[in-house]
Amino acid sequence: MIPLNKFFIPLILGANLSAFGQSAEQLIPREAVTVFSINNTDLLQKVSIDEWITYDFMEEIHQELFDKSTENKTVKEAGLDFDQRLSLFYGKKQQFEVTGFTFGIKDQAALFRVFDDFDLVSSKYPGIKVYQSLFNNLILDHSHGLLIRVEPLELFLNQQTDSLWYSRGNLSPYYAMDEDQEMEDDALVKEDDHKNLLEKNYYELRDSLAYVYQKKFYQEVLDGLFLKKQSLYANDSTFRELLTHPSAGIFFMDNSRNIDRSKNLWYLKTVLPTLYLDVQDLYEGNVITGDLTLKNAQIQFDLKAHYSKALGSIYEEMNHANFDRNIAPYIHLNQPAYFTYTINLRSAYEKAFEVLVPILSKTKDPEISFNLLLLKLGNALVNKDALFNTYKGSLLMTFNGIQKVKTRKITFFYDEKTFEYGEREAEAEEDMPIFTFGFSTRRKDIPEMILEHFSQITSKFENKGDYWIYHKAIFDAAPLFFFNAKGLFIITNDRDLAENHRDGYGNDAINKQAIRSLKKSGTMAGYANIQEVVQRFPSDFLQPEQQPLLDFLRNKTGAITLKSGETTDRSTSLQMNYSFTDTERSSKHFLELLNTLYLLTK
Amino acid sequence: MKRFLFLLFFCCFILSSCIEIIDDLAVNLDGSGTFKYTINLSSSKVKVNSILALDSFDGKKVPKLGEIDAKFNQFKELLSKEKGITSVQLEFNRVEFIVKVTVGFTSIEGLQNGVKSVINQMDPHGEITQEEGNWIQWDTKTLQRIIPKLMEDRIKGETKADNELLRHGSYTCISRLPKPIQSCSNELCKLNPAKTAAMLRVNTLELKTNPALLKHTLTTSP
Repeated sequence: MIPLNKFFIPLILGANLSAFGQSAEQLIPREAVTVFSINNTDLLQKVSIDEWITYDFMEEIHQELFDKSTENKTVKEAGLDFDQRLSLFYGKKQQFEVTGFTFGIKDQAALFRVFDDFDLVSSKYPGIKVYQSLFNNLILDHSHGLLIRVEPLELFLNQQTDSLWYSRGNLSPYYAMDEDQEMEDDALVKEDDHKNLLEKNYYELRDSLAYVYQKKFYQEVLDGLFLKKQSLYANDSTFRELLTHPSAGIFFMDNSRNIDRSKNLWYLKTVLPTLYLDVQDLYEGNVITGDLTLKNAQIQFDLKAHYSKALGSIYEEMNHANFDRNIAPYIHLNQPAYFTYTINLRSAYEKAFEVLVPILSKTKDPEISFNLLLLKLGNALVNKDALFNTYKGSLLMTFNGIQKVKTRKITFFYDEKTFEYGEREAEAEEDMPIFTFGFSTRRKDIPEMILEHFSQITSKFENKGDYWIYHKAIFDAAPLFFFNAKGLFIITNDRDLAENHRDGYGNDAINKQAIRSLKKSGTMAGYANIQEVVQRFPSDFLQPEQQPLLDFLRNKTGAITLKSGETTDRSTSLQMNYSFTDTERSSKHFLELLNTLYLLTK
Repeated sequence: MKRFLFLLFFCCFILSSCIEIIDDLAVNLDGSGTFKYTINLSSSKVKVNSILALDSFDGKKVPKLGEIDAKFNQFKELLSKEKGITSVQLEFNRVEFIVKVTVGFTSIEGLQNGVKSVINQMDPHGEITQEEGNWIQWDTKTLQRIIPKLMEDRIKGETKADNELLRHGSYTCISRLPKPIQSCSNELCKLNPAKTAAMLRVNTLELKTNPALLKHTLTTSP
């Protein structure tokens, strides 16, 4: 008989070794908040390094690859091991940010033919080789590589420099420069003679601090990784689980550690720490994960947002809603883009009240306490039936393309005898993106009451019987239209919709199959015809941080569809499908999409 | 200054579906006179307004209306102090986006030196190119005019994609002289019946491809 311990111990050990066996992504530091990991795929091996480094996610991390060592080489020829994942990561803390990527190594000699600017430096970590170049650090752990850069944040560095600079009794560096501009040459020479050449000016001081902090933070990250063994992989079970997915790429974002989000809670953290901790609990486990799957002429992006049970209970209630069929007639068959949102606002409100009131009740702060009283009074006194019947929670947004809209302009006219000129008003036409926004309502009398009130205040609001016009509403030039129809209140700058299609587009509206798909989509559903939207959507109207998405879609054809999936008290899922009709290879689309996601989430 | 010019010139040419510029010069016998410059963006106010609503556009910070007002006032104040400038009036219609500058001067030389000096003061880093010579020359008998370098550079710098937008714009150059005009070197130039004023109107897109379109010499009778 085989003793149990002799049989099971090796089995357990083996299982552990297999589960925690070293892989390149275990070198991702715990500070990483966002990770994109690309699975081994034949397609990606064929991409040339020169092409790889055109992407922002690569460009930022290794400028030294922009030399002849990469010319005409593919990623495969760089000695990378495509049986391992290639993972890009980004993280931001209060004082520094960390970027980099991890990869597997098949041929170290080939790797150093590409990474030819790196020099070996001493390492205090057993078994770990450390190489450095002017910008980056290359860490080799046997057959796994980590290319990493750790930089102090500019704001932090400026604060530190200012603090040291002024504590030394210096005036503002900008003030000194202004003074110099007015000084005679002789005076400047004399001043230089009296200067202590060893005393650093503002920018030299800043450079020195940057160097010192860069070393400090870099050490901190590496010590965490190799001495304390605190990698993201070791610390986060969600991330570990995500790495087992067979998809072409995975996406991970720990929103609970997202510094830009936590900055919004800074006031609470400093002024009301107890309340901050409670609110922070709501965000606990707020991790977004995603799988990118390459299909034939299609990339599917499955996104899952994980959250705390408290927050999840609100989302779950919010999702107890059915798609409002009245919305469908207002989506044209050839609509360039549309988005529908279906929630049960009342249920979500009741749940949020139930979750938030106990949290707010704990604080002794008079301001919060007063706001809590107002919240309770509002809950007791406001007619919730009227409120939530006015806005139930379902809405529709459409992009109807670009139309010429009538505006007024000033033109100059000339007297042919004197060439003197004067001004006169004339009609003009300008291109304008046309949008429609509508929401489900059972109380059409309430928006009507508001519009009636506005019309008494200003003549710009005009009642045309079945609809309202707000003249010169947009940038003091173009009109806006409002109307109630079929249980919806609609706001649009589409004159054609307001004047001719108030009951919907009839046979020209989306078909039954599309409606069924909307119904099945749950909370969110969307569609965009890439060519129609990108070619016609005025990019000028987007904020700079939204531009990468449009840049990615430029020159592409196909469609993007969006639909939400199951929502539970711990997570909700969302699926985005990007189908392309052009002949570009899938890997290029994949990398471009990855790059866009990287820019949007950075 | 760069931000100020961003709205005035960059915006004008890059974004407007139509821009109207009037460059009106009146010279008296003693060389003094009045210079009026008008930029009309009223037919593009939706676009201008939409850009003003943004923080930045095309990598450049978009100035707020208050900042534009402040720059206009600075321009007015600085120009008023210049030697050879007798008066400066500036109107900015914030609804229609029409800017009108009227400058009184003692001599053409004084006018041009004054404008150059103010641009230098508001653009200390020399980001704006100015001509070494003058864009107007007057010797009591002949008046020579070309497009100011600053405007020429702005138009030339625009991309092909903006050509469609420039197509609908116009640049009108008016010259009013103290004596009857005998001849004009540019056949596109129109004289008034009294022959005391000449008007040359060109399309902004054509001006982009051929800045010499605006070049003309007016010769007065002795």
